[in-house]
Amino acid sequence: LGVARRASPARLVIALGVAAMLAVFLVYTSIAGGTPQLRPSELNGRTGEVALVGKVVGRVTGNARENGLRFRLRDVEGKTAVPVVYRGSVPDMFRTGRDISLKGELKNGTFVGKSGTLVTKCPSKYTDKKQS
Amino acid sequence: MPDLGRAALIVCLGLAVYAVVAGAFAASTRRRRLAESAENAILASFLAALVASCVLLSALLRHDFSFVYVWRHTSLELPRPYTVSAFWGGQEGSLLLWLLVLTGFSAAAVLLGRRSAPSLLAWTVPVLGAVTVFFSFLLVAVASPFATQAAPADGLGLNPSLQNPYMLAHPPFLYLGFVGLTIPFAFAMGALAARRSDELWVVITRRWTLVAWMLLGFGQLLGAHWAYVEVGWGGYFAWDPVENAALMPWLAATAFLHSVMIQEKRGMLKIWNVLLVVGAFALALFGTFLTRSGILSSIHSFTESSIGPWFLGFIGVVVAGSTALILSRLPLLRSKTRLESPVSREATFLYNNLLLVAFCLTILWGVAYPILTEALRGEPVTVGPPYYNFFLKAFGLPLLILMGIGPLIAWRRASLRGLGRIFAWPLGVAVASGVLLLALGAGSSIPGLVGYTFCVFVLASIVLEFVRGTRARQALSGGSGPAAFAQLVGRNRRRYGGYVVHASIVLLAIGVIGSSAYDTTREQRLQPGESMTVRDYTLTYQGTTQERGPNAVELRALVDVERDGERLGTMRPGKNSYLAEQQVSNESAIRSDRLNGEDLFLIAEQLQPGGPVFLKALVKPLVNLIWIAGFVFVGGALIALWPDAREQRRLALRYGRAEALARA
Repeated sequence: LGVARRASPARLVIALGVAAMLAVFLVYTSIAGGTPQLRPSELNGRTGEVALVGKVVGRVTGNARENGLRFRLRDVEGKTAVPVVYRGSVPDMFRTGRDISLKGELKNGTFVGKSGTLVTKCPSKYTDKKQS
Repeated sequence: MPDLGRAALIVCLGLAVYAVVAGAFAASTRRRRLAESAENAILASFLAALVASCVLLSALLRHDFSFVYVWRHTSLELPRPYTVSAFWGGQEGSLLLWLLVLTGFSAAAVLLGRRSAPSLLAWTVPVLGAVTVFFSFLLVAVASPFATQAAPADGLGLNPSLQNPYMLAHPPFLYLGFVGLTIPFAFAMGALAARRSDELWVVITRRWTLVAWMLLGFGQLLGAHWAYVEVGWGGYFAWDPVENAALMPWLAATAFLHSVMIQEKRGMLKIWNVLLVVGAFALALFGTFLTRSGILSSIHSFTESSIGPWFLGFIGVVVAGSTALILSRLPLLRSKTRLESPVSREATFLYNNLLLVAFCLTILWGVAYPILTEALRGEPVTVGPPYYNFFLKAFGLPLLILMGIGPLIAWRRASLRGLGRIFAWPLGVAVASGVLLLALGAGSSIPGLVGYTFCVFVLASIVLEFVRGTRARQALSGGSGPAAFAQLVGRNRRRYGGYVVHASIVLLAIGVIGSSAYDTTREQRLQPGESMTVRDYTLTYQGTTQERGPNAVELRALVDVERDGERLGTMRPGKNSYLAEQQVSNESAIRSDRLNGEDLFLIAEQLQPGGPVFLKALVKPLVNLIWIAGFVFVGGALIALWPDAREQRRLALRYGRAEALARA
């Protein structure tokens, strides 16, 4: 850091501080882990919580505040789809054809979404002409 | 018209290439007239970018749907202010805005630099030109805003979420901040290329960084307020990769603004400071890359576009080039003095820097984690808000306490007895406040209680500094208290502007802690006539209204609000159905209490005319302090930035000789 190279207690304190911070950081990251992000085609047999990313296809039925919103989620570039049921807040732009992400887990062949994790990706900004 | 726009961009590219080639040749062969010609090319590139921008703006205002960009981002029904904001609503337009701001800042840097540091400009101009080459090349060859088609009858419209007054200001402020970081980077690289070992570039770089940092910070707060009032989930920051992308360069610039004081005062941390300037600029580019590459899953980052790899390549060039330059100039960057004690002002600034950079790297790690895990394990793994919130507390709370300690502690070396004398008063006030808050029930959140106690400590330190300084000034020159206070601030603008910025960060912290650690949320399905309670509010759903707005059908739930038996009025949460865009947008209702800074936030879901509503009510204590903090922040930064004739004379005396030597 530009500190002169003679032995200095300050340098030791700083070095220990940095090392402690890194240690806390690495321990936390390894313990807390994260959420795997999968496509519907990668979901087969998977247990535990994952973030599922895909495109909403077919008809959307049900009610997100009562028996649950039901739809199918397909790979953005692929054909494998999985049925999804979700209860909770639904973003404004959710509809058939949108790319979405939601957290949850696979139960009896249906992906059960976790409340408040449904995110709709914005379609209008920063895309190539050919993709819109 | 589109031909004029395309031609202006090609001219801009040509001028930028000339500025790079002629500027570098002039700097290496010391040809002054050629260097001036390269500087003029930078000035002219701004005019070319301005012409291109005027062409696009004119097409937007005329609803000229023969421009593909205008067709894709506007419609005949779109209100005029949003027709203007569509300029930066899409990829090509936002890149053009980036180029306009870049060339504008570059022209300002050249004009100001000609007066204050002409010799520094020699190598700075080619660097500014190189960045301009990149952006104008993208607009000419990869993402042109001037593509045309047979004009359709109407356009596709603008994303409803972007149809909000904050979207008129939030993106331009962010761009001003992002792009503004180019200028400190160019001066730092220019000084290194010219083998300058004096601190003049540091003074210039600090000012430009302060400008960019202020704009970026304010832009982020505007974005947070937009998210709060428009996105309608009751929050203002979600640790989304793109939000993080704006926060990272701001943190790096914050670290630089502190450590640069050590370089100016003590001649230390030279390498560290250059690295921070390069890091802030590279992180600004990285943020743009994230937004446009589609590499990460985010509410902002959208499907893959073709400019992502170009940005990645440019970031690689910037990082590799600047690292090579720094390594080749290491002897020039050796420190003249050493850190004398771990208990001194420079040491606290150093700890502050380490925490800021550690927090910045932690965020970078979180953002890059899905990319790294996909590369290593075959599937991306994301880290969410708990990860970031943990580190916000782990690094944010020590940073808060350092903000109170740093300004009061002595340079070089401080004694323990001296520390006790200085901190007795702020510490006493903080402990007393902590006990009082505990008695009032703030112990329901321990991090919240600790945070508030730290905030009181910092505020008490700041007040103490102002009181001491005013008294000393009064003793020195007499006069009234207010006059002495005005003199104090006027004669030490950097220092006291900095304290005002610190006060704004404390306000921000109080608002964030209040609204996140002490908030209340309730959800309930209500039929017309039914009521629910949240905290001390009683909410009664009376029914619905429906009106035709300028470009949407507006359905609203009528919710009467009472508190302690007193009727406070009717709130109208609901949804808008946008006609041209064929989209529905939730419209939350917010009631702010000016006395205690608290918000009552209502979201109406599952709303149908005359039917029941699923009402979500949030009470967010002190949240309004966050927005007030934005204005205090800008006020403090402007005080620190305001030109000071005494300082100018001091600098002219100190660096006049270096300038003369460099020009000889």
